[in-house]
Amino acid sequence: MFPRSTVCRGAQRAVRRQAAHPVQRRGLAAPASGSFQYQAGEAKGVRFASRDFTGPTTTLALVSKAGTRFQPLPGLTEGLANFAFRSTDRRSTLRIVRESELLGAELKAYHTRENLVLEAKFLRDDLPYFVELLGEVASSTKYTPWAYNEEVVPLIHMAHKKFLASPLDMAINSAHSLAFHRGLGTPTASSSITPYTKYLSPETIAGYAQYAFAKPNFAVVANGAENADLSKWVDQFFNDTPASFEGYIPGGEASKYFGGEERIAHDGGNAMVLAFPGSSAFTGKHYKPELAVLGSLLGGQSSIKWSPGFSLLASAAATPSTHVKTTSASYSDAGLIYTTITGSAANVGKTAMAAVATIKKVAAGEITKEQIQKAKAAAKFAELERGQDILHGLELTGSGLVHGSKAYQMDEVAKAIDGVTDAKVKEAAKSLLDNKASVSAVGDLFLLPYAEDMGLKV
Amino acid sequence: MSTPSLAPFILKRKWLASWMKPLSNWYCNAAGYRQLGLRADDIIPEENDMVQLALKRLPPKEAYDRVFRLRRAFQCSVSHQLLPKEQWTKPEEDGPYLTSIIKEIEAEMAEREDLEAMVVQKRDNNATKAH
Repeated sequence: MFPRSTVCRGAQRAVRRQAAHPVQRRGLAAPASGSFQYQAGEAKGVRFASRDFTGPTTTLALVSKAGTRFQPLPGLTEGLANFAFRSTDRRSTLRIVRESELLGAELKAYHTRENLVLEAKFLRDDLPYFVELLGEVASSTKYTPWAYNEEVVPLIHMAHKKFLASPLDMAINSAHSLAFHRGLGTPTASSSITPYTKYLSPETIAGYAQYAFAKPNFAVVANGAENADLSKWVDQFFNDTPASFEGYIPGGEASKYFGGEERIAHDGGNAMVLAFPGSSAFTGKHYKPELAVLGSLLGGQSSIKWSPGFSLLASAAATPSTHVKTTSASYSDAGLIYTTITGSAANVGKTAMAAVATIKKVAAGEITKEQIQKAKAAAKFAELERGQDILHGLELTGSGLVHGSKAYQMDEVAKAIDGVTDAKVKEAAKSLLDNKASVSAVGDLFLLPYAEDMGLKV
Repeated sequence: MSTPSLAPFILKRKWLASWMKPLSNWYCNAAGYRQLGLRADDIIPEENDMVQLALKRLPPKEAYDRVFRLRRAFQCSVSHQLLPKEQWTKPEEDGPYLTSIIKEIEAEMAEREDLEAMVVQKRDNNATKAH
């Protein structure tokens, strides 16, 4: 059976926890959904949230409202992400890496359209060390010119090359910039070499860090840590971060949808993105669960191996090697529901035509009840899985705290999806066709169709 | 590369510093690099990785000025002449601009060596309790 020490330790911990927090008592065998809930709090102006999984590891993240949407100059978010965990006033880059290696931890920094995330995964006992490290990174990173030249710029160049080599990434970014122009439309990777070499410098990055790591603009989120512990350490280690940021940062105004068409010639593959205005995140104001359901109804990706799957677009794909996927990307105040199609040029063109025909069918109500039922179940599963997946959960929760002062609660999202009716889905599909679409084609432009040919308004 | 130096020891003691100051001024002038418009940091031997890295880390303006001084000194040396007196390096201009960077790099390398030579021990509570 169990090794004795494990059983004893669990028991000890349970006793200890009950003694410390008689109010939030929860047995070890509590229903799983209970532990999905994040407990939020605030310590000296720093917002934090945590949920306590009874596992041996913890994932800690600092989520800052400093994604590409908010960068005042091109490339700043990337620069800041690549400066994370580098030399601080107290420790060198090497020491940070070696120390966290010795503790068996993993450090990561990445950015999305809206957020900059610094993340650490480690053994549960090391929580204080890593809260201190994140506090240090936020408040006392040294933005030296030589670190920028030797360590940061090569990484940005690499991201740039990787971005240019991927037609799909280019198409998705192009669709976003068609849909939202600036703000959410800012590409996540530098799409041309001029902007970042022109505007990027250690000084501008340091200036942006003042904004990104000002107390109202970030949140600390932990998975697998006791709320009381996290509160104690956050209270102690985030004193040196600036209390507020004075100055103008773009991206704060509400996102507006524009739409349009862009065609980019590319040698390395073919990708088409058909994008429509979508739903904001659950924590935002324009949350429309029916669009998540519509997204999974159109679908395209199979959840079963060796089968194209049951979603509408999966059967619309011209050949098995043509990949279709519908994503409902949601941001704090807007969203984009988009279908990506990749494959050979002729098949991508054919599939795009079929996809638009399918959306028209849904709008006309030519689908069965079962299909909507299936889509609802799939959407609910996808949402729950996304929230349960620790990484997404952390970012969603952090961004909820930073943008809307509300933690992301999965259970409520699932309820919202349950409440979607067939009529609402049809209405949503109709609204897609009535609005202007954002269509982006990357690849062999001779074969890829225009939006006009597919019957979309741009 | 930075060399062992008595300077910190002497500078800590005011009386000793006031004794040594004239001597060091005499020595710096006698060394003759100031008459060629150079600074003390310009004549640090640069044929090793550490100084090469430090040179790369110089701000662009400093690097440009350094190259200018070196070329001017080279021209003077080739033509067996000294600069006109008003172009000699003044003692107050003769500050370190490269030594500080070299020291930083030395500290980095020493830290790396220390970390490489480290002996890892299990924490007490982990050593006694199995995870």
